Amino acid sequence: MSVELRYLYCVTEKIPEDKVISGPGEDVHFIFNKGIYAAVSKVEGHEFSEENLKINLNNMEWLELKVRTHEQVIERIMGNSTVIPFKFATIFKADESLQAMLDSNRDAFKNILKRIEGKEEWGVKIYCDMEKFKNAAIKENEQIRHMEKEIASSTSGRAYLLAKKKEKLADDIVNIKIVSYAQGFIEVLKEHSIEVRINRLLPKEVTERKDEMLLNTALLIEKSNLRNFINNMNYLKEKYNRKGLDFNCTGPWPPYNFCNLSEKGKTQNE
Amino acid sequence: MNESITESKDVALVNVLDRVLDKGAVVAGDIVISVADIDLVYIGLRVMVSSVETMERLRGAPMSGGREEPT
Repeated sequence: MSVELRYLYCVTEKIPEDKVISGPGEDVHFIFNKGIYAAVSKVEGHEFSEENLKINLNNMEWLELKVRTHEQVIERIMGNSTVIPFKFATIFKADESLQAMLDSNRDAFKNILKRIEGKEEWGVKIYCDMEKFKNAAIKENEQIRHMEKEIASSTSGRAYLLAKKKEKLADDIVNIKIVSYAQGFIEVLKEHSIEVRINRLLPKEVTERKDEMLLNTALLIEKSNLRNFINNMNYLKEKYNRKGLDFNCTGPWPPYNFCNLSEKGKTQNE
Repeated sequence: MNESITESKDVALVNVLDRVLDKGAVVAGDIVISVADIDLVYIGLRVMVSSVETMERLRGAPMSGGREEPT
């Protein structure tokens, strides 16, 4: 027998005018708790009970479907209301325990809602085509050019050693450049944002791209500043394209990166 | 004017996973997926489990993976 569970998507301050949600998560309903609403779906224990969830988390097809549903539901609600998105699979066994959680976190939720009102989360991931980046970096380097001339006029044995030395130098140049670029971009992103989160880099297996992830950020941006931000990202994208860098900018996202309760499950007034 | 930089979010699953699995408000629900379980998910996705911050990785041996041919 499968138990019925409650899946919490987000907390919001008002119910969407368009209450009908179709497609995945169409059974989403709203639970009211003194000024805030929780967007909830009923889900089955055979999918989301503790032990079944652990099994399902390893099923990539299932996971992709559920993760996309999670995102779609919250995006729809976000259309006309400020939302606090919850982490994937935030599950309650009954309305009572969900209400109890809302009771004990209500003030903290209201504080967060107030803090993020009128703002949007955007994501900027910067990717680097290492070959292209390296070529551009060493092309303008005096020392490297000098070594290349030396290699051209050396005997094969000496040329071999010099070539090795040149490779090492090129790697060092590239490494220093990458760090300084990354730091520079972080500064630019900070100028546009109220808050910046720097997240871990994801490897190629996950990004499914040929180039390397250089920077993974989430930004909280004032809506009034959005145009500025996008214009500048377009400018940077164009400017750095020939150096092998690609700016991948997405949004607006539910503010996943900016809704931390300071302690797990605890109320805290800021 | 030009908003071509804004890509459709449907295209890259990585952008969704990155947030929905890893971020979002955390409260004590009745069923708790532990950090270990999320790491399991990442292993499932062949993501290297690492708590190393971006800049630390950059300072270390950046982008070394797959660049040099093993001899």
